[in-house]
Amino acid sequence: MLLLLCVRLAMADTFAQNGPVPVLSDAPSNEDCGITLSGKVTDHEDRSPLIGATVVLEGTPHTSITDANGHYHFHDLCPGTYRLVVSYIGYTPERLAKLVRSPEVINFRLHPDALQLHSVEIKVARQREQLTQATSQLSGQDLRQTHGQSLAQSLERITGITTIQTGPSIAKPVIHGMHSNRVLVMNNGVRHEAQQWGSEHAPEIDPFVASELTVVKGAAGVRYGADAIGGVILVQPKPLRDSAGTSAELNLVGVSHNRQGAVSGMAESNPAGIPSLSWRLQGTLRKAGNSKTPDYYLANTGYQEQNFSAAAGWTREKYGVDAYFSRFDTKVGVFSASHVGNLTDIRNALQRERPEPEADFTYAIGVPYQNVTHDLLRLHGFYRTGPASRLLFTYARQYNQREEFDAHGDQSRPGLRFEITTHSSEALWEHPLIWNLKGSIGATYQYQFNRYEGRFFVPFFQSHTGGLFWIEHWEKGKWHVEAGLRYDYRYLQAKLYRKDTPQRTGQSALDNELLTPTHRFQNLSGTLGAIYHFGPHLDLSLNASTAWRSPTTSELYSNGIHHGTGTYEYGNAALGVERAYNFMATLAYVQNKRLNGEISVYHNYLDNYIYQEPDTVPTLTIRGAFLTARQKQTNATFSGVDVSASYQLADRLLFATKASLVRAYNRTANEYLIWIPSDRYENSLRYSVDRLGAQGVFAQNFISVSGLAVPRQRHIPDHYLARDYAMPPVGYFLLNAEAGTTLHFGQQQIEVGLIGRNLLNTAYRDYLNRFRYYADEIGRSITLRVSIPLNF
Amino acid sequence: MKLFLKPSLALLFAASVFMASSCSNDEDPAPTNEEELITTLQLTMVPQGGGTTVTATYRDLDGDGGQAPAVTGAQLAANKTYAVTVQVLDESKTPAEDITEEVEEEGDEHQFFYVVSSGLNLSVAYNDTDSNNRPVGIHTRITTTTASAGNLQVVLKHQPNLKSATSTINTGETDAEVTFPVTIQ
Repeated sequence: MLLLLCVRLAMADTFAQNGPVPVLSDAPSNEDCGITLSGKVTDHEDRSPLIGATVVLEGTPHTSITDANGHYHFHDLCPGTYRLVVSYIGYTPERLAKLVRSPEVINFRLHPDALQLHSVEIKVARQREQLTQATSQLSGQDLRQTHGQSLAQSLERITGITTIQTGPSIAKPVIHGMHSNRVLVMNNGVRHEAQQWGSEHAPEIDPFVASELTVVKGAAGVRYGADAIGGVILVQPKPLRDSAGTSAELNLVGVSHNRQGAVSGMAESNPAGIPSLSWRLQGTLRKAGNSKTPDYYLANTGYQEQNFSAAAGWTREKYGVDAYFSRFDTKVGVFSASHVGNLTDIRNALQRERPEPEADFTYAIGVPYQNVTHDLLRLHGFYRTGPASRLLFTYARQYNQREEFDAHGDQSRPGLRFEITTHSSEALWEHPLIWNLKGSIGATYQYQFNRYEGRFFVPFFQSHTGGLFWIEHWEKGKWHVEAGLRYDYRYLQAKLYRKDTPQRTGQSALDNELLTPTHRFQNLSGTLGAIYHFGPHLDLSLNASTAWRSPTTSELYSNGIHHGTGTYEYGNAALGVERAYNFMATLAYVQNKRLNGEISVYHNYLDNYIYQEPDTVPTLTIRGAFLTARQKQTNATFSGVDVSASYQLADRLLFATKASLVRAYNRTANEYLIWIPSDRYENSLRYSVDRLGAQGVFAQNFISVSGLAVPRQRHIPDHYLARDYAMPPVGYFLLNAEAGTTLHFGQQQIEVGLIGRNLLNTAYRDYLNRFRYYADEIGRSITLRVSIPLNF
Repeated sequence: MKLFLKPSLALLFAASVFMASSCSNDEDPAPTNEEELITTLQLTMVPQGGGTTVTATYRDLDGDGGQAPAVTGAQLAANKTYAVTVQVLDESKTPAEDITEEVEEEGDEHQFFYVVSSGLNLSVAYNDTDSNNRPVGIHTRITTTTASAGNLQVVLKHQPNLKSATSTINTGETDAEVTFPVTIQ
């Protein structure tokens, strides 16, 4: 209703500005007259939107760059004749002279440039498949302002994304209330495979690699494979350089609350003598010490990272191949106070004002800590089978090693070590445009092997997963329709000794028998959606999707004490497939002069939702009592709304607001689900000035202030304290501020950003931090970051 | 050309599937025993001035979960003093491993605490010290008074860099926590 009102207001605005007596003249005047000129730029062959195309009004200072949907716009034009020039790399520029007297929509269809076929591959890489599901991107300055944060924390800028944290150094993204096994991370087009079942296992990806982060909210199982029930996070590195030359970039970051220092460098080249070859090298070093809350340091919360990646590609007119290798290597301290034993220890921790032991600042990392390395090798190639049709092949090998060093016993070797190796391949054919249909057909295969040493928690296993999918997009006039279907088959074999299962007997002869249970899962995923363009400013997207996931090995077979949470976790080998039916509607009002916004509502039905249910009977051990949790299945719903809107209050002053709400309900038990993010409301004011100082030495200047309000989670299950150690914490308000500028010294640019978080130094605890029983969240923190692009 | 390419892609895909599945690993998990598993906590109580030695045992041979632990309580004589020694053992290994020695070596970061339930007429006094002259609790004295019944809880705490004049049973991490039914006759 409110939105409808907003739309009407804005439309009235446009009409009011259409002045009563337009003065016709051939030369456009500089007065503000209020006419809007907009439209869409698409590819003539396949009708896909061209993102980042330049539209210039020749002879005027007006320039517009097309957005994610290919739209451009000019506001405040006076009546007159304008010469539009549309250009895009790899396409023939188009010119058009037009007498403009009232708001106009002019669309362009550009023809691929036959002389520049070399660049066509780049064009394809820059096109984004328009999805009928709600998607959000983070790139450019917005993304660079998150430098110094982890991948998951960076994504919190996107409406509807929160994090589940295990202390200050470990964070995982949560999409619409779902995380871990329900959120897929695609790193450079490859499904990230690690020990993602654990909430204390953060995605092993260097955030400096990404030039763009995209979040697909909702069940996106058709393209990305089963498991994508909550959504998908796409981490996209910059495409390899396509124009001759060599360039580099240096990023420096300093963060105050943990005295973090990070340096990340990148160099890339497309040698003039060998135009087919491109390469890039990138590396990051990062070191942080103990984090500080408003009142105390958190012992043993430092971390360090050494990451690098290398890429090389060979691209010709008809084909291209590239190879990519990345290594992520981190050592993360686990907050000492969280290393508790039984239920009594946790209750003691809850009684304490401050965590024990007291700590000072140090960079040293003691026990317990995690050592994690993740290697990714990706080979990729394409062959062009027509102007808008390609064959693509991708092979990837990932090796993830996670070592957990305990505070007890032999500290020279890990108490627990997991190694998981994943081979995956994908073949894809993007067929040419037929009857306005554009689509792709693909096959995927994945083999995985997991082993461990030390304490038992998750067994040895191997799995084979195969999938076939077909997605089509149909576009005509104001309609864009998307439909897709996928079939997956998964074979899983676990290997474990009877002593590691709940069926152990205590007699060594029986307990040392090796069991090899197998599981087979197969199912369909589907998606059907449509976008209706009411005009260049208003889009309505509707989507219905279904996705499924098979239970993970940890859900089937975990058996042991989960340290830090004081819970004895039992898997359930009888678990079956979990299925989601996802319905979503998104209304986007974009590219307007003053008011812009997007509202997205969703409703998810989950059948046989796998979750952990605390048992009323604690597990008794020689170390005392532990909370017992068992894997169970129920029927659930997740529904919610994400709203974001901005209003240009004045020329340089922008007000923006964001809100996200999610309600998760157990339909079988008729109560709310536990550990669902609280509502979030954020308002911000941003003042920007494009040029300041002599000859505009300071460009793209901005300063913004924002307030984040998170109320206490009140939608919780009954008998709450039988399932959790403490009630959800009280709500909190955080004041944040940012500023940024780009300095120009001749040809050289330096981008500087300053970010202040929790400026009021508020002591608070977040419901989704697993360590909220033990300590407060981070206090006031200032980040200074510098980004220096270098061209040779 | 197309006719040739599509099969070649299928071939490439098939080859990768074959290669990946031929990497199949048939390794079995090593049947390793858990590190530092405490299965047993035993109190040996020797009466001063003669009488039968009493033992109380908490034994959970298969470790956490699985079979329930076996607990044997103690019957003590009234108005008597017992010299008590506590032992923590790993009896899942043969021969059983005595973990008490390790606790003794790291006495400055470990302490046994004894909690007597109300109504049980006995008191526990420490009879040993660590390198910092603080009690460890491996050796204690139990003094009983009149006939009664109740529970004696024994808690072993690991208190690295935490054990001090002010540290209590609430400090540090629990290594063992067991409860014995006790009757005094």
